[in-house]
Amino acid sequence: MGTSVIARRAGLLATLALCVILLALVPKLPPYYVRVADSILIYIILAVGLNLVVGYAGLLDLGFIAFYAVGAYAYAFLASGQFDIHLPFIVILFIGAAAGAIAGVLLGFPVLKLRGDYLAIVTLSFGEIIRIAINNADELTNGPQGIAGLDRASLFGLPLTSPVHFYWLLLALAIIICASVYYMERSILGKAWRALREDQDVVRGLGINTTTLKLLAFALSAAIGGAGGVIFGSFQRFVSPESFTFQESLLVVLIIIIGGVGNIVGVIAGAIVLVVLPEVLHFAAQYRLLIYGIVLVTVIVLRPGGLVSPRFNLSFIIRKVRNLWLSPSKT
Amino acid sequence: MFDYFLQQLIFALAIGAIYGLIALGYTMVYGVMRLINFAHGEFFMLGPYVYTFVFSGLVGLGGLAPMLDSALAIVASFVIIGLLGVTIERFAYRPLRAYGRLAPMLSALGMSIVLQSAVRVTVGPQPVHFPAIVASEPIAALGGMVTTMQLGILAAAILLMVGLTLFVNGTRLGIWIRAASESWTTSSLLGIRVNRAVSLVFFIGPGLGAMAGIMYASYYGIMQPTMGSVIGLKAFTAAILGGIGSIPGAMLGGFLLGAIEVFGTAFLPILSGGLIGTEYRDVFAFAVLILVLLFKPAGLLGETISEETTVAKKDY
Amino acid sequence: MTRTRVILSAAALLLASSALPAVADDIVLGGSAPMSGAQAEFGQSQIDGAQIYFDQLNEKGGIKGNNIVFKALDDRADPRQGTLVAQQFCDDSTVIGVIGHMNSGVTMPALDIYSECGMAQVVPATNPELMRMGFETVVRPVANDFVQGALPAKYVTETLGLKKAVLVHDKTVFGQGIAGVFKDNFEAGGGEIAGTFGANPEDVDFSALIASIKLENPDVVYMGAGMPQLALFLKQMREQSLQAQFIGPDIGFTVDFITQAGAASAEGALMTFQLPPYDSSPELRDFSERHQARFGRAPGPYASLGFANAQVMAAAVEKAETLDREGVLAQLHGVTVDTLLGPVAFDENGENTTASMYLYVVKDGKFELVK
Repeated sequence: MGTSVIARRAGLLATLALCVILLALVPKLPPYYVRVADSILIYIILAVGLNLVVGYAGLLDLGFIAFYAVGAYAYAFLASGQFDIHLPFIVILFIGAAAGAIAGVLLGFPVLKLRGDYLAIVTLSFGEIIRIAINNADELTNGPQGIAGLDRASLFGLPLTSPVHFYWLLLALAIIICASVYYMERSILGKAWRALREDQDVVRGLGINTTTLKLLAFALSAAIGGAGGVIFGSFQRFVSPESFTFQESLLVVLIIIIGGVGNIVGVIAGAIVLVVLPEVLHFAAQYRLLIYGIVLVTVIVLRPGGLVSPRFNLSFIIRKVRNLWLSPSKT
Repeated sequence: MFDYFLQQLIFALAIGAIYGLIALGYTMVYGVMRLINFAHGEFFMLGPYVYTFVFSGLVGLGGLAPMLDSALAIVASFVIIGLLGVTIERFAYRPLRAYGRLAPMLSALGMSIVLQSAVRVTVGPQPVHFPAIVASEPIAALGGMVTTMQLGILAAAILLMVGLTLFVNGTRLGIWIRAASESWTTSSLLGIRVNRAVSLVFFIGPGLGAMAGIMYASYYGIMQPTMGSVIGLKAFTAAILGGIGSIPGAMLGGFLLGAIEVFGTAFLPILSGGLIGTEYRDVFAFAVLILVLLFKPAGLLGETISEETTVAKKDY
Repeated sequence: MTRTRVILSAAALLLASSALPAVADDIVLGGSAPMSGAQAEFGQSQIDGAQIYFDQLNEKGGIKGNNIVFKALDDRADPRQGTLVAQQFCDDSTVIGVIGHMNSGVTMPALDIYSECGMAQVVPATNPELMRMGFETVVRPVANDFVQGALPAKYVTETLGLKKAVLVHDKTVFGQGIAGVFKDNFEAGGGEIAGTFGANPEDVDFSALIASIKLENPDVVYMGAGMPQLALFLKQMREQSLQAQFIGPDIGFTVDFITQAGAASAEGALMTFQLPPYDSSPELRDFSERHQARFGRAPGPYASLGFANAQVMAAAVEKAETLDREGVLAQLHGVTVDTLLGPVAFDENGENTTASMYLYVVKDGKFELVK
């Protein structure tokens, strides 16, 4: 009995240590792999943000990439020769998040009384309106040409130049966001969202203002999208409308569904799969997209609930760790 | 100016008819399954490809009279693509019924990528010239000009729409479809084979989409693997505008969207004194959509949401 | 869980194998363009064109006895994907030069990465801005959009004496950029621009747009857009009996333009292109025959440009003292070579000093050179 607990503790410890070591080893890989990891982390941040709306509150948002665009263009406007404004990165990170949230509220406020697919199409329209407006406002955004030569970001005096720097930044931000979302999920707010997802009439019947609840989810998710956009802009040092198409919005939704709706662990798995898959498929040349589509449909049909089972979520992992450590007799 | 307006109205009707036909497919599937079928635009795209394949096959075999060859190829396209729709529903959507509404929607998205890429790798990515099925002769009318092609498209679209309405309202099979759209459980309790109704919808919807695709290719003279993406999205918008789930709504939405686009292009620059250019056409269309939904949250002809509908309790 | 683990390790293996280095004796050159997605047709044609040239070289024993391996990666016309491709080429130490990318927006963020790893880069994208960013690792053999917009503007104002034009463009970097260049030159030649109309890159219905252009009654319509839009626009323009002179850029220089617009509608349309006619020289004839033999189809829209870019890259490798990135880069700007495009030599920015541009007119269903 005792030895089995020790063995399981050791196993758990080894798994955790392996995860940490793997994460720490990424920067030692060739820069291409680091860049892929950066992409994964950006999509994890976006998907965790969108998951607040889709997974927790049960609203389908098909125009999420608009908030990402708002953040990216915030960085382009405030840290480039475009208007000759050069604010520090960390300031723009907050401005971008705030701008995202404001855009979220502006969109959400009038439309949140819409339900289901009508809300989905309105968010889709909003996303397209933002992209077309950016593409057309030549004086402000250079239109399709995009804004190039954005400032190199620096954080507390440390310049962020290489993919490795961004890896650490993105990893830190992803952990902070996942942790905050995890606590939010367990708070009264998270429970209210969950109730909203299951039956909004009952929630309203309890005297809770569902519109405010939805608006809050919208604003928070948009803020995360905005922050993600700022990092994307500073990393790429170039923004143009072609990065913010409807397909990108769909990609983020796909990540959530493939991974497992409403589950942070699932979202992380989804982001890894959907960013790595096209990279792996480079060998297939023109068949790349075809295979990608076939894999997608197969995965959804075989695992409709997502790759990661809803039971295997963050609280499950935490509980498991805690149980094994604090009260081994119970396990 | 009035001539200009009339001329634009003719253009709006022609493109609106095509939007309406595609929107019908979205709306029928949605009515029965509550599914946004993102693959629908690809059935539209497949239409002219299958038509060309069958037509050249017939001609290759010696062929009958040219008009008869075309007619046969059109019918064959409807049937082949309808059957493809039924097959896709069976294997990519039906297993997901128990898993909420997001999984089938994303499966549809995946199918769309598969179908489009499959055409691209087999036939090639380039746009291909599509010979007109009916000769396009200009006719002067009401100070404007209308082509026989535009008239043909309008007539064919209206014919198909009327036919569909009669079918859904007047036949036994149509009643199945309507019953399944009303309530899945009640219908099965009443002995209606819901799965058959679903298959029927997945036969007719994609078939109509293919018809729209053939008209479109014939009107513009080309077909290409990507042609379904943009127009699919637009037709979906049209279906929502008219009230998704409603068959007359889809037709109305189609014509309305055509009008919004055409008149947006024609009058935005004039009315804004050149300030808002034609490149804002889609912004205008989406803005109108949002405005309509703010005042009519279920689209123009959509049912107002009642307590019984599942959509009301859960958004997604 | 075990299933997940198997899938993950399989994925890791595949990822690793895709980055395997080539055999030591090979010269590995990279190429990137959209090969899947909506722009696949154009990207693939460029890659195919380059492949033809490298095949041709290998038949003759390669460069200094080394076989050339052309490694083409898909960038899906997406800037983020472009940076990943660029990094992949940079990490693979066997790759000593890259031809890419086709889209200006994809090339822009990738420039940084290539220049950091000292990779010689032949740029197919034509946006003038790209060569003014101060990167020393790039050259561009094809004419930028300035040359392409200027030539027809000069021709219609001076030779044809047409003075009233309308611009149509698709709001892409290329379409809007080139229409802007045409406008500047047209106005400099004493012409007047009666209006500028934006459309979407995927539009196929221009009827409403054309009806409002008719109100302006222009002599010239310049359209900066892609295919099939150029052909569809012209067809619909003639259907509405708008008889203005139609001018388009290089993308439209294909037989498809004439078939899709219809020979009658296309008659008289002007088109610019970087090459003399395909049947004008034995090299060009040979190229299109080889393309047909290798891929079973006539050269695609940008195949000849891909071929010429490959010629420039190969010339730099040929001259290189050492077969590595430094060696190629050292020679890149000094390259002078006779390509399909004619003689190529570069200025300090890496632009081709003699980039040629030809004006064609559609006559009896065929493109004819305007002398």
